Amino acid sequence: MSEKQAPNGKEPDPTDPFREMRDGYLDAWSKTMVDTVNSDAYAKASGMMLNSYLSTSSPFREAVEKVMLQALQQFSMPSRADLISLAERAVNIELRLDDMDAKLDRIEKLLTKPVSTRRRTTQPLKGIKKRKGAR
Amino acid sequence: MNEATIVTEQLLGMAEKFGNFSKVINRKVPIAQTPKELVWTLNKAKLYRYVPVVPEEKRHPVPLLLVFALMNRPYILDLKPGHSFVEFMVKSGYDLYLLDWGSPGPEDKNLKFDDYTLDYMPRAIRKMKAISGSEEFSLLGWCIGAILTTVYAALRADEGLRNLILLTAPLDFSDKERITFARWVDERYFDVDKVLAAFGNMPGEMIDYGAKALKPVENYVGNYLKLWDNLDNPQVVEAWQAMNTWVTDNVALAGGAFRQLVVDLYRNDRLMRNEWVIRGERVDLGRIKANLLTVIAEGDHITPPCQSAAIISKVSSKDKELFRIPGGHIGIMAGSGADKRTWPHIEGWLAPRSK
Repeated sequence: MSEKQAPNGKEPDPTDPFREMRDGYLDAWSKTMVDTVNSDAYAKASGMMLNSYLSTSSPFREAVEKVMLQALQQFSMPSRADLISLAERAVNIELRLDDMDAKLDRIEKLLTKPVSTRRRTTQPLKGIKKRKGAR
Repeated sequence: MNEATIVTEQLLGMAEKFGNFSKVINRKVPIAQTPKELVWTLNKAKLYRYVPVVPEEKRHPVPLLLVFALMNRPYILDLKPGHSFVEFMVKSGYDLYLLDWGSPGPEDKNLKFDDYTLDYMPRAIRKMKAISGSEEFSLLGWCIGAILTTVYAALRADEGLRNLILLTAPLDFSDKERITFARWVDERYFDVDKVLAAFGNMPGEMIDYGAKALKPVENYVGNYLKLWDNLDNPQVVEAWQAMNTWVTDNVALAGGAFRQLVVDLYRNDRLMRNEWVIRGERVDLGRIKANLLTVIAEGDHITPPCQSAAIISKVSSKDKELFRIPGGHIGIMAGSGADKRTWPHIEGWLAPRSK
């Protein structure tokens, strides 16, 4: 069997024509699908599907949640709501800690400033006058 | 060699290729390899500082903070060694920080843009300023991250922001015909409250489906055919795996933020009309005065170019540039040509403005 070489030096691939045909078909399909999904009809259909899924699954989801809550109560275990509440409190504590960190940074910055700069930037407190004779 | 042997050999070759294909598509590869240290956390958010590789005296004094979208992992910016925007910028002498939003849990379902832009970002920026010692900084926001950075830049215009870089920024929602997402979330078809009542947060899988459904043939068929055709090319396989690892690593979007995205932005275009109110403050884009570079991907189907151009005429910045580049939403930053076109342009724009 004789083997011809393509001009670029690579061996000819017998599947190339099929690949080209496939890519051409995919391009055409892709354009059609892009037009399809970018239509009101698609938006309406997908919205309806989502709505019906949510409506159908909602009673089951609620039932499972109810059973789960009862089971957790039976075993004296914290519920999902309890854990969410705890997590929210932890975030609030983190926020407070971050505020304190910011304040400490500011204090540290003031303390590390050269004395001459600190003196210049320090403003006299309003309403406090120096007493006569005071040192 | 008789025909039966040839057919058998071809079938065996095909079976081996299927085996390799299956292995490749299911393999997770190591990503985000650039050395970094965790310097701040709040709830699920983390601020990382990349370990500098350029001596301090040669580094740009103005640090750069990367802010990615809320519903994807930010390591797309640091995909793999040798092809990483983060690595490129660190080597270019930037003091580089990354804000990773993490994955919201059920307790975060009420988080809104208000919280991200006025609680999380200012705190992360404060930490970055403290570490870098610079009162000025640059922000780079990509996709939803560009909304966050734009809102921050408008609401906190006097807090040291010198340079603002927006990548594929979905800011203008006025052209409903060209924005497929706007059509899908139209109030006639999409009940946002019903979805959030069911899930709390918008599930990552649904967001992923939405993004892929914009170009279903490319994402569900073409993507795998490309891998099949290049199974014997290790470079293509490696790049495909890294991208696939990122694409399949979905993150939910906090319910409150998702509702704002749909109602305030996609439906009512409040940001571009200067009507968006964030924690009692109106977001006036005219208050943005930082140097602005906005990068538009001309082939972007997630954020069509019409969504990113108008910001240029709305801001007060004197130094502003609109840069259009061929490519898609992710491809311009993570595709094979990103290191030759997008990254050098960003770096070339930022360098003289970071002195």
